[in-house]
Amino acid sequence: MKVDILTHRDGKQAVVRYDYELRHEDEKPMALDVLLQAQATTMPDLAFRYGCRARNCGVCTIDVNDKPRIACRARVREGDTISPMATLPVLSDLVVRRDGIARQMRGHLSSGGQGNDLNVEAPDDYHDLTACIECYACLNKCPMHARNFDGGLPDDMAEGTAPDPGEGYRWGSPFSLLKLQRIRLDPLSTETGRENALQHALTLGLDACVDCPGCKCGVGIDLKRKVVGALLSAAKDRLPAAE
Amino acid sequence: MAIETEWRDYDVVVVGSGGAGALAAHAAAEKGARVLVVSKDPIGASDTKISEGIATVRASGNDDDTEEVLSENLKMAGADLPLQQITDAFADDSQSAYDRYRAQGLRPPIDAERNSPQPLPLPFGGHNRRRSVGHTNSGVAFGHANWNAVVQGDRIDYLEDAWFLELALETEPQRRIVGGLIYDAARGVLLAVRAPAVIIAAGGLSTIYFPKTDTMRGNTGDSYAVAARAGADLVDMEQTQFLPFCLASPPAYEGLLCGEPVTASFLGVLRDKNGKVILDGVYLRTRAECAAAIMRAVEDGRGSPNGGAYLDMTANKRPPRSGPYFMRFLESCLPTAYRNARQALGKAAAACDEPWEVRPAAHYAMGGIRVDANGTSVGGAGEGDTGRGIPGLFAAGQAMGGLFGANRLGSTSLTEGAVFGTRSGQAAADWARASKRQIGDSAFAPLISEIERRFGQKGDVAAATLKLDLQRGSWINIGPIRTGERLDAMDALIDSLAAQLGRVAIPGYAVWNQAFIEFEELRNMLDAARAIVVAARERDGSVGGHVRLDGRQISAFSIPYSTVVSRSHDGDWLAQRVTRQRTPLKRLIAHKIQDNKRKLQVKLLRMMPSSMQDKRLEKRYVAIMGAGGSAPEIAPGGVEGAIAEASEA
Repeated sequence: MKVDILTHRDGKQAVVRYDYELRHEDEKPMALDVLLQAQATTMPDLAFRYGCRARNCGVCTIDVNDKPRIACRARVREGDTISPMATLPVLSDLVVRRDGIARQMRGHLSSGGQGNDLNVEAPDDYHDLTACIECYACLNKCPMHARNFDGGLPDDMAEGTAPDPGEGYRWGSPFSLLKLQRIRLDPLSTETGRENALQHALTLGLDACVDCPGCKCGVGIDLKRKVVGALLSAAKDRLPAAE
Repeated sequence: MAIETEWRDYDVVVVGSGGAGALAAHAAAEKGARVLVVSKDPIGASDTKISEGIATVRASGNDDDTEEVLSENLKMAGADLPLQQITDAFADDSQSAYDRYRAQGLRPPIDAERNSPQPLPLPFGGHNRRRSVGHTNSGVAFGHANWNAVVQGDRIDYLEDAWFLELALETEPQRRIVGGLIYDAARGVLLAVRAPAVIIAAGGLSTIYFPKTDTMRGNTGDSYAVAARAGADLVDMEQTQFLPFCLASPPAYEGLLCGEPVTASFLGVLRDKNGKVILDGVYLRTRAECAAAIMRAVEDGRGSPNGGAYLDMTANKRPPRSGPYFMRFLESCLPTAYRNARQALGKAAAACDEPWEVRPAAHYAMGGIRVDANGTSVGGAGEGDTGRGIPGLFAAGQAMGGLFGANRLGSTSLTEGAVFGTRSGQAAADWARASKRQIGDSAFAPLISEIERRFGQKGDVAAATLKLDLQRGSWINIGPIRTGERLDAMDALIDSLAAQLGRVAIPGYAVWNQAFIEFEELRNMLDAARAIVVAARERDGSVGGHVRLDGRQISAFSIPYSTVVSRSHDGDWLAQRVTRQRTPLKRLIAHKIQDNKRKLQVKLLRMMPSSMQDKRLEKRYVAIMGAGGSAPEIAPGGVEGAIAEASEA
């Protein structure tokens, strides 16, 4: 079974057609099976991330035919193309630099609720959000995240103008909004903590969501309603109306 | 030279960003230390994140759950290998340390009447009280808490995609930690970090058995290897916990958990490829017994196609009255495992109409870096003392030894991370403040030039390929069954792979150099595997996770001892035994009697006529689950998953 793998080393790109050897006739391999076999045979220094192999850890996301997929549970077929997530800058082969997403949250994760009585139940909506495995599939087609790259993707940027992920990206993403909405739903947060979270969502570019048809979660969280919709309605007086 | 070195200064460096690392960093920062967290995987992407998310919280279910009760519970489950000061610390801090996850946003169900986290409904085999608290979204919910603790800031800096390569050690005027060397792969630089304290919280070593493991890829033994190369003692390294019932195929599911001894229920048996029963009464067996039975069959050529055996639960399903109860029990008591089995093995297997092909897999390193109750490195005889450890070195979580010994009590690892993460963070901050003085660069120079040489190393082999050789050999020689001969074979394999390190081809570019990463992880895996070999040779009988086919079962009534291994400056490995305190005879005998009673019950059950047996089983299921309910969830790796282990001592 032939699968194309995009490699990227030391600034040079190539497409390697890897011939996956099925272990039995009716095997339906996952993308990660292909990458592991390639590494064990003809591509020993192939760079890719993986962790738990059970769709729990969120680190193995790649693109299959240009759509973000969690490699350990993404079936691949003859002729498919495996490439790094297009939404983040490539470090090597299928490994992208994820760092710029988290860093924009530094100093903005406190709910102000320290010292409260901890023995309070959180609402179901709160737990819906902690199902996020941080796979970053939600960055796909996100207009807010694209602002970091002048409305495009990291690859589209003119040389030397790409933002430094080590500084944290200026503009947010469904993931950062989820982290902020979680603070708003936490029964232990103070009113100030909730207001700060909303303010930070606006700073990160919540206005980009107003006319956006919505984002897609890699593990099925209803981002549009439970994250973006909730924040938009809380901030409606501070945002331009939808077109 | 292809790679540049940058210098940094911190009070405390924390290696790892799971539960132990995140809470260590937070505790050290709280005490005023400037902290750097170094993580090779994305922040929080650790075994904590992929765990079942059940934490031990003392007294959450019973008022009589005192520190003494929990501490003894841990110690006896561990066959008296655990160190009492460490089990005491766990018992003392389990509530306050758990609350540190809550301060970062972990929200358990609450028992309003008791005003405390709500534990699962029953105290299972291993635990003698109700104290296991489950969480929505399992370990992923803990992952969020750990991520928040590190990313928020407040005196904590962090690096992900960064490999902690080596501890820097000064020997004059006295031996002590002065920092470490880090490969920052994202930026393509070496970071020489001057710091008086380093906390190792970088997880376990199960990846040396890949793909026969259900844990995170990053478990390449980094914790043990880095500490051992700096001269630290490792304790109980032969104690690897293997889960017997993991999947053997298809490849995407290989190694993932599909059951525990108790989920085989009353009538589950193990069969070889010819259908012959190789182990009955599976639900009353220890994990090690199950794993050894499977591996013996494989050894004799009676194994299944993928090197395992068959877990046959069809007899549970067939009886008209109790069968439906069994299916509900199986589906609900370990839901992630059942889901894995259904997806991997198909409908007929999921309905228990046919047996499951199973194979053991590595789950947890119960031994680790030898520390005291504050996670401070110790050496010497008996409990060890800090004066003979490595000053400035700390360890927490799976990286440390001394809490579990030979068996792990259920739902304890998340609490272990919190308790010893917090303690080591505080101790490291105190040490850093007390021992502050100018750190020179001399200890770093040889480390840096060693690494610089690796970039651009010419060669004709790939480290990733050598890793595969090591993984195959580890499974055969230091896996679920061991003999003196196999240990010798493993030594020879490690020698031959280590001799090829100089022939590994590594290109010269600095940013995310996968060949270099593979090389460094291979080096760590070799050292971790060696530590297991040396400890396993020293322990020439079977106990807990260590099964010597050529030795006797070590009696619970003999004087318990732990193995301690260390690496000399020249690279020679040394082993010694340190004695442990035995539980009073009266308590041990009471346990033995309990165990024999259970075994007799299963024998009687098997001798009954089938209709009577069916009725009896129905009764027992109703007692566990209620007439219409589901089974209480159990934690994989915990004693409740293999009730025989509670009384193995």
